[in-house]
Amino acid sequence: MNTRLLMTLRVTVAAPQNIGAVPHGTRRTVPLSGGSFEGPRLRGTVLPGGSADWLLLRADGVLELDLRATLRTDDGALVSMRSFGLRHGPPEVIAAVARGEAVDPATYYFRTTPRFETAHPAYAFLNRLVAVASGDRRPEGPIYTIHEVL
Amino acid sequence: MNSRPLMLLRLDTSTAQEIGSTPRGARSIFPVAGGSFEGERLRGKVLAGGGDWVTAKGDGTLELDLRVTLETDDGALIHMTFTGVRDDANHYFRTLPRFETAAPQYAFLNRLLAVGIGNIRPEGPVHAIEEIL
Repeated sequence: MNTRLLMTLRVTVAAPQNIGAVPHGTRRTVPLSGGSFEGPRLRGTVLPGGSADWLLLRADGVLELDLRATLRTDDGALVSMRSFGLRHGPPEVIAAVARGEAVDPATYYFRTTPRFETAHPAYAFLNRLVAVASGDRRPEGPIYTIHEVL
Repeated sequence: MNSRPLMLLRLDTSTAQEIGSTPRGARSIFPVAGGSFEGERLRGKVLAGGGDWVTAKGDGTLELDLRVTLETDDGALIHMTFTGVRDDANHYFRTLPRFETAAPQYAFLNRLLAVGIGNIRPEGPVHAIEEIL
């Protein structure tokens, strides 16, 4: 599979909303308070409000991520991003992540599959691609390295 | 990004059900009549009954939304879905498969994300699916 770097996305998170035990698992919603993204073809900021990650911890210990974010490029285009993802790893690593410690992202699986929608002609290429990302859960919020699937 | 081959999936589709132009785009449903899949770690057949719900968007691309059931050669059932993009003008046909199974020997499928490289062959669509490492 060939890929190329699309952007590095850093998001900052607000206080999580712990929904708790639901029939499918344990649900937590984490609003995004902001962030930024930068890549060879686009860069800008993450808009707070309507940007959040809807998390579901499944019975098998895998965390499902369902992120929606609105990106605003430095030339004013709005881009809607959605990505489904999975995060799991050895219990002690996941516990360290949960405690907010800095953990080597190579020690756990944190991958997402972003899709994009925009009306702006300069970024229409985003409508026509699928992407994969590797995540790094930092205490201040996750960093996603997003690659376009070629 | 690193990946490794998961399976080669061949789908037999039957005559499309052309829903026509709806507020969301031109909708076609391609029923899946069967097929096969093969990889190092799993192989088997595609059960009839699934399909690909395809939407032709205003920019000339097709949005794919597939659901099928796979049956491995040792009798496990795997629920597989993907969304994806088919952009014939740019020879781009990529999907994002996901898997769900209750069979312990295939539980690794519940924990991975994947990318499919699609190709339309005379006998039907073929997807080379790679696990994202």
